[in-house]
Amino acid sequence: MSLKFKIPIFDVKNLSFNVRGVDILSHISLEIFHGEYIAIIGPNGGGKTTLIRMLLGLEEPSTGEVRLFGKKLKNFKEWHKIGFVPQRASLVDENFPATVEDIVKMGRIANRGLFASFSKDDAKIIDDAMRKMDIIDLKKKMVGTLSGGQRQRVMIARALASSPEILILDEPNTGVDMVSQQRFYKLLATLNKKENITIIFITHDIGVIADDIGRLFTINQKATICNNPKETLSCEDMSTLYGIEAHLLHNHKHEH
Amino acid sequence: MLEMFEYDFMQRAFVAGLFIAILASISGTFIVLKRYSLMSETLAHSALVGVAVGLVAGYNPLWMAVIVAIASAWLIEYLRSTFSLYSDAILSIILSGSLALAVTIVSLGGAFNNSLFSYLFGSILSVSNEDVYTIMFFGTVSLALLLIFSKELFFISYDEEVAQTSGVRVKLLNFLLVTIVAIIIALSIRVVGTLLIGALMVIPTASALQYRVGFRNTLLISLFFALFSVIFGMSISFYFSMPSGATIVLSVIGFFILSLIINKK
Repeated sequence: MSLKFKIPIFDVKNLSFNVRGVDILSHISLEIFHGEYIAIIGPNGGGKTTLIRMLLGLEEPSTGEVRLFGKKLKNFKEWHKIGFVPQRASLVDENFPATVEDIVKMGRIANRGLFASFSKDDAKIIDDAMRKMDIIDLKKKMVGTLSGGQRQRVMIARALASSPEILILDEPNTGVDMVSQQRFYKLLATLNKKENITIIFITHDIGVIADDIGRLFTINQKATICNNPKETLSCEDMSTLYGIEAHLLHNHKHEH
Repeated sequence: MLEMFEYDFMQRAFVAGLFIAILASISGTFIVLKRYSLMSETLAHSALVGVAVGLVAGYNPLWMAVIVAIASAWLIEYLRSTFSLYSDAILSIILSGSLALAVTIVSLGGAFNNSLFSYLFGSILSVSNEDVYTIMFFGTVSLALLLIFSKELFFISYDEEVAQTSGVRVKLLNFLLVTIVAIIIALSIRVVGTLLIGALMVIPTASALQYRVGFRNTLLISLFFALFSVIFGMSISFYFSMPSGATIVLSVIGFFILSLIINKK
């Protein structure tokens, strides 16, 4: 069955973004379908984060249109279907007065009616999200006291608490050690395969997750979409995209 | 100690003061976490413009303060979202501009007298029955709104963009919060005074944050500090004939220093 017959989760047409005449992104068109695992790579300043921000309505495109589940962004209401973990996820303000549970509960807010408080079902989903991320024992701890890796898991548990159909992660690994990263990649693969959650993952660590992902988008002002990521990961292609960094990436891949 | 409650004015002042302590500490928690602390100072000075207009033109100064403070809060949010200005610069401009305007209006109207002094620093003698009703009415509405939206406001204070992508109506709720804060500040000027209400919003939360506990407990500790500061401050004000705003703020600073010492690393 071809993916083309379904309504894409994201339908992006001719999207451009420029700031004071400088093109950050130009003429991006792409579709993302249910159940996909997509990695987005590209050099810093190439527009990856800007693209994600436009997909989520945090930034207005200069031209073009984003449709989410077939609807224009401004008409889209079912935000609980989206779980977003931003770049700064592991860098929490240390003084912020929230326990792990406080943060994960935030994820459930969109699913609940205006005057309703959290139901038993909500509490169970919140606990499940914490269990899945292996932070249930940290439930009553203050987020400010956690390590980078633990904080990252809290942020993802928050995103999972809304029972999302799609998870968008923007390089959430800042300040996270290697072991936690490995665990994290495994978990993403499981969420994608077992729970059929669509994943869009901005990362530099492409070598490590090459086996898990379905498609790879490279973003450097323009988008190149490749449907067979392992082929694209040849050193030559990487060199065109990243310049010198490609060698690092290449070696990195063989280390694991 | 309880003899002060034999006076009607003291009963009124206490009802008003306790209401204000609850409102200031709960709204203050969101204000502090959103890094809006200077906002409360600015709105307090804007409220003074309303007081000045009220005194000179003969309208109820409290109602005028509510109206001008809300207008000022909206102006700040508009400037913040429309022009690329630093938000602390905007607040600083509105703060000094409001004070200048208030003083000019009062001088032109020849109302520069003791009653203005009581609006600056608060006075337990000045709380009228009408003031108590105004505070109870607006206070109850504001408190209800804060409690209904507390989870959303907490989420927004934590991360505005993630809250927005989770379907929280961030712009609308920010607007609602600054409106509520404007109302609370205007209501507080009788008891605490415009120059000192900012402290009652910010310091209880700043003290509570020292204990490093979750959101709910931070709110409760902040509420406790605000209530006891108002009780202590008003009692001292009564027995030593001092402006209640000053004694309340000194009490809350006492709690703040105590919290710093207890939680010293």
